[in-house]
Amino acid sequence: MKYIAEVDGLEFPIEILDEHHICFGGETIEVDLAAVSGQLLYSLIVNGESFEGYVYPDERSWQVLLLGRSYSIFIEDEREKRLRTTEAGIVSPGREYTLKAPMPGLAVAVPIDEGQRVEKGQILVILESMKMQNELRAPFEGNVARLKIKAGEGVQQKQALLTIVAPITSPSVEQK
Amino acid sequence: MFKKILIANRGEIAVRILRACRELGIKTVAVYSVADRQALHVRYADEAYLLGPSPARDSYLRGDKIIDIARKCAADAIHPGYGFLAERADFAAACEQAGLVFIGPKALSIKTMGDKAVARATVAKAGIPVVPGSEGEGSLRDDELLAYAPKIGFPLIIKAVSGGGGKGMRDVRNIEEMPDLIQSARREAESSFGDGNVYLEKLVEGARHIEFQIMADQFGNVIHLGERECSIQRRHQKLIEESPSPFLVDDQPLRQQMGVVAIQAARAVDYANAGTIEFLLDSNRRFYFLEMNTRLQVEHPVTEVVTGMDIVAEQIRVAYGWKLSRKQEDIQWRGAAIECRINVEDPYNGFLPSSGRITLTQPPTGPGVRIDSGVYAGFEISPYYDPLISKMIVWGETRPQAIIRMRRALEEYKIVGVRTNIPFHQTMMDTYPFITGKYDTRFVEEQFSMLDAAENREMYLDIAALMATLVAHDKMEHRTQKYDKPPQKSTWKWSNRQARSNR
Repeated sequence: MKYIAEVDGLEFPIEILDEHHICFGGETIEVDLAAVSGQLLYSLIVNGESFEGYVYPDERSWQVLLLGRSYSIFIEDEREKRLRTTEAGIVSPGREYTLKAPMPGLAVAVPIDEGQRVEKGQILVILESMKMQNELRAPFEGNVARLKIKAGEGVQQKQALLTIVAPITSPSVEQK
Repeated sequence: MFKKILIANRGEIAVRILRACRELGIKTVAVYSVADRQALHVRYADEAYLLGPSPARDSYLRGDKIIDIARKCAADAIHPGYGFLAERADFAAACEQAGLVFIGPKALSIKTMGDKAVARATVAKAGIPVVPGSEGEGSLRDDELLAYAPKIGFPLIIKAVSGGGGKGMRDVRNIEEMPDLIQSARREAESSFGDGNVYLEKLVEGARHIEFQIMADQFGNVIHLGERECSIQRRHQKLIEESPSPFLVDDQPLRQQMGVVAIQAARAVDYANAGTIEFLLDSNRRFYFLEMNTRLQVEHPVTEVVTGMDIVAEQIRVAYGWKLSRKQEDIQWRGAAIECRINVEDPYNGFLPSSGRITLTQPPTGPGVRIDSGVYAGFEISPYYDPLISKMIVWGETRPQAIIRMRRALEEYKIVGVRTNIPFHQTMMDTYPFITGKYDTRFVEEQFSMLDAAENREMYLDIAALMATLVAHDKMEHRTQKYDKPPQKSTWKWSNRQARSNR
């Protein structure tokens, strides 16, 4: 199986030959990966060098915490990459951002209304968790849609609270 | 000595106090909320009683229930730890009325120092310098605060009168943003302390936060155990503390002077037991009284490590009525200690708190490392309480050795299941201002960035890419296996049966 791992704008083609051998940069390398106690913590031995790191699945990529640094890694197999390159010409519609609760807690204030225009950085929800009040803000200018939270309600982690829809005409919208 | 002590707290500090009691041969009583049934303090104590539902106001803040339990189980004393009821004068008084010893100062000292405005006025009267503020004015309305602000000048800080731990505090740069900030400070103060009153204080720029540990008995003996440097903070929450302060290390006269003033401040309120005098030092080495914490501090271990004194055991001894075990001249400081507070906060995601089940924890061990923790693998971190789950303290003969040791220990510390701020500490231990000791209370918020600071670290792009790819591949394999192949187990069973039938 051939993969392409992208990190920091660099692409690393990695071919997995079998459980303990990969082809990396034209060389065959001996690898051994073990999940420590079956957890997200991994021990990796590469040609005798030993590393330990956390590997977290993210929404579209993987986050690796290794020796005090965080790496965001986007992985595709070759087939996926071909597909994506052919799709690239299609223009996406107005940008949307769904605010999800980053942690469980209590919405102490929701100082906005459905349909309201909000500025970038404007407070959308004040969420209290672990005794601290956290202000959740708009990542860009847009209109509030699908508002599903009222002040005084408890929320679960990753619960969708509302969506911000960027106006198509706004010059601040980047087409992705 | 006391026969039995009730610990009115949870988490790492409850465990810390339990340990001191154990070593003194005192029986221990834990109290807990529904969420904490399986917490370490409940498991370690000799006795444990349920307080009520998980929210603090229904459990750890129920002073009446706690006193009730203490009487029923025949405890002699209550140790409040920090937070919750630790600085509630009414609770200390209620303990006394119930015939229980409150392990802390007298109710009146708590009351005087607890009202930040009264505290500042009291020490100012004793000739101790304070940061200019609105404390002389009593409780002010919003419009009065706005009118008073220009007298102090910007930037300034809004602070909760009943505050502590950085809650209900807001920095104000100008009058325009002030009304909103007053509202959010009042809101947070109201929900944290049940008191939305705030006052204003000048923001000292380039300031360092240095505090002195005080220990006093009931015979009027007061000593100090030296300073702790606590300038590494975020949103007024301390993250790293150390002793000695790199700022005072070459300035013995200033340290001595501050120690004398700290003792003087404690005497001004007739203080007994452990307490902390917090000072702000400006860049011209002028120092101001900030506040007094009339309780055990989170960061007390750094002082224990450099002085060799068990502060919690000493608290218990003096509360029982014994004299201080040491005189000022007996206190000696050895080497350097650093503490990192391990919080369930993700430094890569705006320090947002993280909750969930800890599935694996592997604390560092080895020379010079101390861990005060309240969690273990399998424990569920609930969103009801503080994000602090553990404290790591290291000791070194010198500060550079302590930093190197801390780096080693941080790399060893593995926690899975929740996100922690360990990467923040790792990054901090590599930054130039921290290493050289040249930082102030604004450093984390204004100059520090996880990205910039990580620049100095060696990159392992290829290893990271490889690790992620192997994990992704592994997950993919498992997925396809599920659909394509029959379960392995039954195949084995089948072939085994076949082998037997062929016999």
